[in-house]
Amino acid sequence: MLRDLQAARGRMAMMVIAMAVSIFGVGMILSAYTILSREMSRNYLGTNPASAFIELDRVDAALVEAVSQRPGISEAEAGSWVTARAEVNPNEWMPVFLFVVPDFNAAHVSTVNPEAGAYPPSEYTILLEREVLPMLNVKIGDALAIQTPNGSKQQILISGTVHDPALAPAWQEQTVYGYITPATLTTLGESETLHILKVVVSDQRYNIAAIDSTVSELASWLKGQGYVVDEIRIPPPGKHPHQSQMRSILMLLLVFSVMALILSAILTATMIGGLLAQQIRQIGIMKAIGARSSQITSLYLALVALLGSGAVLIGLPLGIVAGRAFAGVVAKLLNLNIYSDAVSAWVYLILLLMGILTPLLVALNPILRTTRITVRESINDYGVSLEKSASRLRDNWFSRILSFDNTLILALRNTFRRRGRLLLTLSLLSAAGAMFMTGINVKAGWQAYLDQAAADRHYDLEIRLNQPVSEEKISSVVAAISGVEKIESWNVSPAALVRTDSLDIVRTYPDGGHGSFSLRSVPLETQLIATPLLDGRWLQAGDTNAVVLNQNAKALFPTAKVGDDIQLMIEGKAATFRLVGVIRQILSPSAAYVSPAMFAEATGQPVQSVNAIRFVMKGHDAQMLASVTKEIERAFAAENIGVKVAISESLLGEAISGHVYIFIFALILISAVMAVVGALGLTSSMGTSVIERTREFGIMRAIGAKSKTILRNVISEGVFIGLMSWMIALPLSIPLTYGIGYLVGYMSFRAPLPLTVSLPGLVIWLSVIIAGSIAASAYPAQQASQLTIRETLAYI
Amino acid sequence: MDIKLENRNQFKVGIEADRHLIELRGVSKSYDVAAGKFPALKDVDMQVDAGEFVAVVGKSGSGKSTLINMITGIDTPSSGEVFVASTAVHGMDQEQLAVWRGRNVGIIFQFFQLLPTLTVAENIILPMDFCNTFPVKERRERALSLLEKVGIAEQADKLPSDLSGGQQQRAAIARALANDPPLIVADEPTGNLDSQTSDAVMQLFANLALEGKTVLMVTHERDLTRYFTRSIILSDGVIVNGSEK
Repeated sequence: MLRDLQAARGRMAMMVIAMAVSIFGVGMILSAYTILSREMSRNYLGTNPASAFIELDRVDAALVEAVSQRPGISEAEAGSWVTARAEVNPNEWMPVFLFVVPDFNAAHVSTVNPEAGAYPPSEYTILLEREVLPMLNVKIGDALAIQTPNGSKQQILISGTVHDPALAPAWQEQTVYGYITPATLTTLGESETLHILKVVVSDQRYNIAAIDSTVSELASWLKGQGYVVDEIRIPPPGKHPHQSQMRSILMLLLVFSVMALILSAILTATMIGGLLAQQIRQIGIMKAIGARSSQITSLYLALVALLGSGAVLIGLPLGIVAGRAFAGVVAKLLNLNIYSDAVSAWVYLILLLMGILTPLLVALNPILRTTRITVRESINDYGVSLEKSASRLRDNWFSRILSFDNTLILALRNTFRRRGRLLLTLSLLSAAGAMFMTGINVKAGWQAYLDQAAADRHYDLEIRLNQPVSEEKISSVVAAISGVEKIESWNVSPAALVRTDSLDIVRTYPDGGHGSFSLRSVPLETQLIATPLLDGRWLQAGDTNAVVLNQNAKALFPTAKVGDDIQLMIEGKAATFRLVGVIRQILSPSAAYVSPAMFAEATGQPVQSVNAIRFVMKGHDAQMLASVTKEIERAFAAENIGVKVAISESLLGEAISGHVYIFIFALILISAVMAVVGALGLTSSMGTSVIERTREFGIMRAIGAKSKTILRNVISEGVFIGLMSWMIALPLSIPLTYGIGYLVGYMSFRAPLPLTVSLPGLVIWLSVIIAGSIAASAYPAQQASQLTIRETLAYI
Repeated sequence: MDIKLENRNQFKVGIEADRHLIELRGVSKSYDVAAGKFPALKDVDMQVDAGEFVAVVGKSGSGKSTLINMITGIDTPSSGEVFVASTAVHGMDQEQLAVWRGRNVGIIFQFFQLLPTLTVAENIILPMDFCNTFPVKERRERALSLLEKVGIAEQADKLPSDLSGGQQQRAAIARALANDPPLIVADEPTGNLDSQTSDAVMQLFANLALEGKTVLMVTHERDLTRYFTRSIILSDGVIVNGSEK
């Protein structure tokens, strides 16, 4: 047998390579999964993240010391933060989030890691998060123009960079993260007083209820000590801001690795089926000279185990290396450091089992079946199944559609000769195709979501002000700007859930970017956002205390129904609203919409004043928008109207795309691995088919077939199989797209991604499968066409 | 290479044209085996004329199949020359041989060797497709007429597996005649048939010879000698008689 196998070493090598590719694919995905899930936590927890950020009127060293001694508190530290703006080009601004650190060397809660340049920063200089430099295209030693709410524009020297693993990457958030001392803050025009108390609880650090309880007690004590307790931010404990995004990707990786495992088993079964097809006569001869079925079974199982071991030896180390590289790329995209690229032992174990046990399991049945057939059957095997009348209808149909060329009919019918193998090959290719198309469909669904989100926003720019300004003043300033079509007042105020302790607790990170919740006033007749209703109705004239929530805000009130009263904490006071409707708002943070009058009543802000304005421009191209935005900035600056942040459509688009990029990257990479596994499966199947039909090719040549005829025959068969798999993969991809879109969408946006079938995805896979089928069958076809007739007729 | 029917003689070497349909001159063939070189044919000279029905007989290993392979171009001689219808078969490459064989030689195998996925008619059309010898529209008609000739027209649209051994061999003969070749070579065509069917098949071959085809047949069965115009007996790679009748 070994000599037979030696003679077929090319096929053996291909079988080992195909199994190795499967092990490689699963190994890559699993090792990336284990590295990323561990390192993300390690990065975030390495900063010793605060359990809560309590905003007070003042925080000094004495208070920090006293709080540190409080029961349930293990650490406390003073800090501060300020939202500002950086002028990255003349009159072009980006949001800046400034972390104020009183003593960089003594910082021990929510810390950052020095990267380059000075640390700590000298007076009047700034450290930037390392991802900010490439985003702004600046370097250490450059100056950055920064303007805080109460100050004027100042040039601040960039003295170094830090790595802040607790933040989402700057390019994803389109925000500049800076780190300064209180003295530097003073020069920027703000008060030196620190107002953030960072605390770490001592017990159950990752239990949100326990944190809530401890912080609530601490807040009561602080109030008792005469401090004014404003907003308290309790981020999801122990979780990176992009943990859910990462979880989606990791979950996706796991789902696909399970699928890759199944593909691998199918591929192995296809390969072993092929191997046995080639060996049937030898088995018959061995049995004819006295070998028992058990002896032959053991021989073949040992062979399969040997081949599996070979595949593990090749696929496992390469898969681990590729997984490490993939994890490295993802980590870079998420601004994480990989401190250790060790892969968990269970991954090695799974790959070992997969490489050796799976082939044995899938081989067992065909081996037993083959070794149990009679000597006569095995010796008379010509590698073809007897065609029966059941296929007559199909054959007639083939004949009709291909009446011009019998060689094509031959190729087409050959695809159905070994139905078991055809089924395996089709399963493999269809699964690979379905996964590929699912990847592209989910990407398209995500893109459709983004497009829908953009289409739902019918404005070009939102400007939030440092202080409310009268609507009249804003109108007069804007009236002089020719590029503005219209404006609307969209006041904004932070909101929180009402608690029995009356504390204003929000579930967000220091930068407020993730998990924020706001109350917004909206002109009743507004056309600036789409308001697709999920439940109830939109706001109407005459509503008194009506509120409409978007779906993210509604998730904060899981039991509330339309018609119920809900309470929100606004400006430190509880306000009651009647829930009249729920709208779908894609990629929008939690928001509660009320009428301007209701907003004024809840916040105390005068009705005729405005702290956020939405603009519709006359022209909507990027250049025009940038130019009008600059004009607005100039006009507001001239009138001393302090701009807190200007959110343009392009800024929003870039921030959102940034969150999606990594996801798409993962999907495409996984799809590519699937495609390679599928192509190898087809090559194997075609190789086996050619070997089985060697004698037939001899006959064809004997009756006048040229090499190219045989070449075309085999390649046509490969292409037919490929096309059939495409037709199966297409409907298969739809429920798969729905399932993965649901999973990913729900984890990312609390709403399933829309079911989208991507036409480019279909066409790309069709092209891949045709090209792959041609490539996969070309080698066996070439071999078949080169055989001499004497060789083929002598072939047993 | 796509050769039209009218160019059939493009491989003709121009010497001794039309003298004998088959002519072998000093043909030897040896194979490399573990023990060294094994001579399968030794300096064989042979001629067969058009319209002859010749049996090639001999014991197993005598060189019968090798001789047939030389004539059909399935194998090439180690030395010597093979001319069939004045074409130098020994001088052609595999691609030329495939086309030449398709047009000039009809081969019939012991195990019929019909392609199992094609119907009987499609099997017969296949050589015409390969060699492009008849217009596409006429091919099926010709296939049916050949099936009529071998007596199984009603089986045209069945798959080979639906036919008996004798019917399959008749279909194989029809396939061999598809491109109207001057030479029919059959390798033990009755080896798998019962005696009654064998006789019917042999009668078919005899009729073909009467129609002017040259038929060369390898056989073990001595009781079929009545059909042949002569026999060539091979022993250890050498022709031991020239024209036994």
